[in-house]
Amino acid sequence: MIYIVTASYTEGKVFIDHFKLEKLDNPSKFQVFNKDELFLIISGVGIVNSAIATTYLLTKYGWRSEDIALNIGICGAIKTQFSKGDLILCNKIINHNSKKAFYPDILINHSMKEAVLESFDFPVKKEHQEYVEGDIVDMEGAGFFEAVSSFLPPHNIHCIKTVYDFLEYDKIDPKDIANILRKNIPHIEDFMNSLLAFNEKYLKIQKEDEKLNEILQKLKENLHLTKSMENELKRILKGYLVRNKELPEEIAEFINIKVNSKKEGKEYFEKLKKILAL
Amino acid sequence: MKNSKKFSLSKPFSHIYVEKEVISHHITQEILKKFTHSKVIPINHYKEVFSRPRQSYKLQELSKKLILAKRRDTFLSPASPLCQNFGYHYFYYTNLIINCIFNCDYCFLKGMYSSANIVIFVNIEDYFQEIENMLKKHPLYLSISYETDLLAMEGIAPFFSQFVNFTYSKEDLILEVRTKSVNYMVLKSLKPSPNVILAWTLLPQEIIERFEPQTPRLPIRINTIKKAIHDGWRVRLSFDPIIFVEDWREIYERFIDYVFRKIPSSQIQDISVGVFRIPKEYLKKMRKTFENEITLFPYIEDKEAYTYPSPIKEELLNFIISKIKNYIPENKIFTI
Repeated sequence: MIYIVTASYTEGKVFIDHFKLEKLDNPSKFQVFNKDELFLIISGVGIVNSAIATTYLLTKYGWRSEDIALNIGICGAIKTQFSKGDLILCNKIINHNSKKAFYPDILINHSMKEAVLESFDFPVKKEHQEYVEGDIVDMEGAGFFEAVSSFLPPHNIHCIKTVYDFLEYDKIDPKDIANILRKNIPHIEDFMNSLLAFNEKYLKIQKEDEKLNEILQKLKENLHLTKSMENELKRILKGYLVRNKELPEEIAEFINIKVNSKKEGKEYFEKLKKILAL
Repeated sequence: MKNSKKFSLSKPFSHIYVEKEVISHHITQEILKKFTHSKVIPINHYKEVFSRPRQSYKLQELSKKLILAKRRDTFLSPASPLCQNFGYHYFYYTNLIINCIFNCDYCFLKGMYSSANIVIFVNIEDYFQEIENMLKKHPLYLSISYETDLLAMEGIAPFFSQFVNFTYSKEDLILEVRTKSVNYMVLKSLKPSPNVILAWTLLPQEIIERFEPQTPRLPIRINTIKKAIHDGWRVRLSFDPIIFVEDWREIYERFIDYVFRKIPSSQIQDISVGVFRIPKEYLKKMRKTFENEITLFPYIEDKEAYTYPSPIKEELLNFIISKIKNYIPENKIFTI
């Protein structure tokens, strides 16, 4: 699953249109859009709103450690090395209030610039510049990141920002926002695909475990194994497989046994352990 | 969404996290000069990055990052009872670097730390001060390459050579430098110190290929050892950890014969031998992330550590020691 969090509908609309997402009927203050494995939520402006919406999204629609969460939107830039429309992958996200810092793991190559993002509770203007530690500023990233950090590993959490202004905060033009975000979609989509491919490649082993889990389930039921016996057996079976490439033929006998007491189950469990010992 | 299924890994050390307090330290600056294309990210404390929750050690190994930090306390620690003390009462270890570039399957670091990223503590002068303080009280046998391979890291952080230079005037200090490195250029550039023992870990080539494929091959290690001995360095061979595999007898017999055919045993300081062993908690953690032949072996619990069942352990040790004894006197063989 890929979860996208944007602050405003204007920012979200670009992705809703591009990925042909449909609005979900959900009884909450948030608008959620979806198609297949992609979800998008409009969080509203601010660190707290972003954290609440992110938590809602991940808990409501379920999460696994291979899922990806992205906060995408516009930002203001402090440093003059950036230009309007620059797409930035944040390598550090600072919460201006708490001074807590968050670090995504950037393990794959990407086509974006990188910078430090600082999230504020108020729109940052030129006169606040001396208080800014980051290279770019927004009002959501830190809330999003802290919330997702409770669920996902740091290589699957990213803030992607497009430079909209240089703190000469005046009036935001929705059309202008849509235009600069739309131009950046190919880079964002490439990054999403790279993250998916990366996760898929290195999580392959878990998928191969399905057959082993089937055998384990049968043994658990037939031999009335306790939770700790089940865990021990799982490790022993995996170890045997790693060393011998396939399970011993004798295992078939155990799959068909139905025990009548815990004592009997324990005896078979010990026999099984001996067979799988080396 | 179109799925291109393509990605490329970031280069090692593509990102360098630097504690603000050490940004102007000369070693920080020296390291940063070597990585001009890396992104430098300022941090307050190394644990902000190194100790984040839910990190994937396994995935981080694919693209390690550097963290440059300041060690603020506990510069020297008593060595673990799982390590051979070679008869030295004051056996300590110190870490200037945490984590290693070699990613060996059996390495305890995978169970010890939650991050595969490499932390370099740049304030070597504070370590030297602590060593000086301790030497005022008693002699010191110090392992300096315990949680990394310091010689292999010399190209990044020049700690090995600084330590060697430090020992020349210290009579009561013996340094042990464990390594699998073949960085002979560094050795060649230094005057060998009688206070430094270079402890090369050697495993049969078959074991190297299976469990530590990123380390230098056995013949290259042997060549480096020969040159180091020739130049006057004190060398220890460490056959540790011995790994139990199918055909282990043939593999280890061939290995021992090969090693001593190449290296004159009379020029070896001593040999340490030990079978694979690992603290219980580390193995538990490793099993969650790494499912392989090493982690999934049915070990038994022995003094807070997991190791091979006694019959296997004894058979391995007895066989290997009996073979080594053909080449080197028993009093030069240390077993754990």
